[in-house]
Amino acid sequence: MVAEALSTAGLAIAVVAVLLGGTYIAAVLDVVFTRLTMRIAVRPLAAAALPLRRAAQLALQRRTLTERPDAGTWALAPAVLGALAAVSLAVVPLTGTVIAVKADTGIVVFAAAMALVVVAVYLQGWSPNSPLSLVAAYRFVAEGLSYEIPFAVVLIGTALPARSLALVPIVTSQEHLWNVVRQPLGLPIYLVTVLALGFWGPLSLPEGQDVAGGTSVELSGVPRLLWRVAQLNVLVAVSAMGAAVFLGGWLGPWLPGGVWMALKTLFLLALLVASRQYFARVRTESFVVVAWTILTPLALVDVFMAGIQAMVAAR
Amino acid sequence: MIVDVVFWFLAVLAVFSAWRVFRTDSMVRAAYWLLISFVGVGFIMVMLKAEFLGVILILMMGGEMTIMAVFMVMFMMNPAGLNPMIMVHQNRAAMAAGFGSFGLLSAVGLFARFPASVVPPRAQATAELGTELLGDSMLVFQTAGVTLLAAMIGAVALVSVRGRFGRADEGSDAPEQQPAAAAAAAPGPTVSDATAAAEPAPDVAGEDMPADHAHGDAR
Repeated sequence: MVAEALSTAGLAIAVVAVLLGGTYIAAVLDVVFTRLTMRIAVRPLAAAALPLRRAAQLALQRRTLTERPDAGTWALAPAVLGALAAVSLAVVPLTGTVIAVKADTGIVVFAAAMALVVVAVYLQGWSPNSPLSLVAAYRFVAEGLSYEIPFAVVLIGTALPARSLALVPIVTSQEHLWNVVRQPLGLPIYLVTVLALGFWGPLSLPEGQDVAGGTSVELSGVPRLLWRVAQLNVLVAVSAMGAAVFLGGWLGPWLPGGVWMALKTLFLLALLVASRQYFARVRTESFVVVAWTILTPLALVDVFMAGIQAMVAAR
Repeated sequence: MIVDVVFWFLAVLAVFSAWRVFRTDSMVRAAYWLLISFVGVGFIMVMLKAEFLGVILILMMGGEMTIMAVFMVMFMMNPAGLNPMIMVHQNRAAMAAGFGSFGLLSAVGLFARFPASVVPPRAQATAELGTELLGDSMLVFQTAGVTLLAAMIGAVALVSVRGRFGRADEGSDAPEQQPAAAAAAAPGPTVSDATAAAEPAPDVAGEDMPADHAHGDAR
């Protein structure tokens, strides 16, 4: 009983450590990619210190107040976003044995937590009672409804070969061939939809310059710091899940499982973070049309192909 | 012990937030109080070993409640849902319906005979549900599923390719507010009048005829 409680506490600490460590690495990567594209020399120590300096700056900054905000909801929005990221990371197997929540329906829990991201971002935009922020909130609802279906469908595709919704069987089903090869449409669609989900880079539609920063226009000081941390938390969680369901998770030769999982997660995280420098921001209307008329049909093709493969394999 | 505490916490949360739905003064808050209530019910379903159903309820309701909030805001004369408004109407009918359905459900709870079998600890509830959905009840669920899919594709086709006012992704003007002919002609006569006054050339007057004609129609 005591040992069980201790191991549960240890797993909870591991999840929080991976989430915060990954967030710090993502912030450092963002600095590095920014400097690389601006042709500024990257000094490792300075790049490692800059996110911490910015965080300290924000922590000391005064927070913006608006007229008659929904103060409770406004304060809760970053907490909800961060908690959803933590829930989704908790179901991801970090190695073959280290998995915080062994849910039979792990991938559905992940999809459910990520579906609620729309609620967190919408409330962040709605609660300050500020026009541009509100416009951005409705914009994210349009974006969210569009990416949700291809996102969920490619995840279902990864569960088909495993014949299970739990994540450990989904990873072990890729022992011979990773899902990124077996389902070539899966990972690209997943990466596009999670960029929209994390409102990052080319798909940071609710925080665009055309709405003056949108959902974060009224954020300064500690709330802005928390919102940025929560946003990066989401990117870390979706990278870990992408590594588990498309890149074979902890599977790999020579190195221990945890190292493989960390390397794969970092690879996807770096791709996502770098997209901010290398792709222009997309207009909401274009994204919505592309999501419904291209990504959703392609995701259905992906899941049908995965189903046929699973049927053939079962013979 | 822990199970009891968690159950009662979730049960009280579900009932409390459901009550707040009717006491709040904002459509958005009402929608999300209802979402909290559904999340509480979803977790109770997880505790009842209906893990898949509980989680899928939360997944669905996250999107549903946001859509509900957006639709309420669109239908109400309340810009962006920011103004406070009373969320209850037709109080007598609503009270009758509320007490009536509460009485019925309570009667079911008190007088129905529930199966007393205990769920085995390693019951494969999700697998059994899947077998049921794709076994005995397959025809019903697949018919409903294909119907919903067809409706979904139809809705996407209607809104995304070409709406009544042009392509959805190109922006559009509402029609009939300023007829195109009048809009094009409106600056015409003033320019042509000035031109005509300044230099009364006969060939210019000929060209101006259709514009003047259109202007006269608009008046």
